[in-house]
Amino acid sequence: MSNENGTAYALTTYARVETGHEDALDAYLAALPTGAGSPFARLDGVHLARVQVFRRLVHQRPHQRPDRLRHAHLVVSTTFNGGLDEHLDALAEHVPECDEWWGHCVRYPGREDRAAFAAYVRSIQRRTSLFWTPFPTATGDDVRTSIALRAQVIEFAAATQHLDADELHRRFLHAF
Amino acid sequence: MGTAGAGPRPPASEYAASQGNVLGRMTALTLMTPVRRQWLWFLRLGFRLAPYSPLRDHIIQFNFIKYVRWVLVDGLDGEDLKYPYLHFESNFDGPWEHYIDAFAYVIATDIRLTWGRGPDFPHPPPAEPLKDWIAANSLDGGTYYCAHAEHSTRDLQNALAVRDAFLDFRARAASLGPDEFKAAWQQFLTDEQSRL
Repeated sequence: MSNENGTAYALTTYARVETGHEDALDAYLAALPTGAGSPFARLDGVHLARVQVFRRLVHQRPHQRPDRLRHAHLVVSTTFNGGLDEHLDALAEHVPECDEWWGHCVRYPGREDRAAFAAYVRSIQRRTSLFWTPFPTATGDDVRTSIALRAQVIEFAAATQHLDADELHRRFLHAF
Repeated sequence: MGTAGAGPRPPASEYAASQGNVLGRMTALTLMTPVRRQWLWFLRLGFRLAPYSPLRDHIIQFNFIKYVRWVLVDGLDGEDLKYPYLHFESNFDGPWEHYIDAFAYVIATDIRLTWGRGPDFPHPPPAEPLKDWIAANSLDGGTYYCAHAEHSTRDLQNALAVRDAFLDFRARAASLGPDEFKAAWQQFLTDEQSRL
């Protein structure tokens, strides 16, 4: 088990932020729409995503020798079902916001050259040591259709509880 | 401001859930904590063996976690770090403060074996120092997305299980007569009652 568990994939990237760009990047991320308006909502396969900046490491006093960062770093993590290549293609095609967040980071090549974009993300990727989920093979579509189907089953059961066998059978075959 | 450890944090009990890591019912918790280098081999080995060890069952019992990852980060671009770091990201239902008691008492050994490889970790139990440690180390800010933020982990597990059972039932239903169908339908509802 590493980046993958079943068909689920955990992508974790760390990118060094260009000096002086930290505040603009923070402000940009904080202003991004969430929920259905999130850039990641355009990608069917994505379950989760988080994009954040960190500027310093927490000092675990008193026995830690302090680690002081020279730069801010951007952490982008996504969880999706499918292959990494397809995910990077989808990011490049449907998420122009990548140019904004990674555009504040060193060596980012942009999205125009898909191969360069994919190579960049792979170059800043960190290998997951352990990745776990209770639904490792469920795609985003599986989740959506399962939730809708369960609601439909509940509604059908409530609406047909007093029907005789013939009518129940007929309505079931019609509904499903 | 999207910074990690930028200034003192309030106690866990006062920690606001408005740090760019809450969406609908979901919370993301990201920690970036140091590991003493002499224990790096232990964590690498432990994570490799975890899927085949009791840790797997210990994680599974917490049915509020959707996705969780551990990433060992040994160095960052442009930095000269004294320690490797453990990146931890968990995505779960509700605020994390609700679950720390369970973590601190039920899987205290797992937690101590993992995060206790770093300096000054407040080895649980009790839970309170662990809550304060998590609040102090949580990476906040930025943007957070979950495709099913309004549904709990249990909701998703139940919906997926009902779908599988229903597809089996539907495949059989077409060949049943009305009376057989009604009996089978009632049996299906009984079997799936707890998940509907």
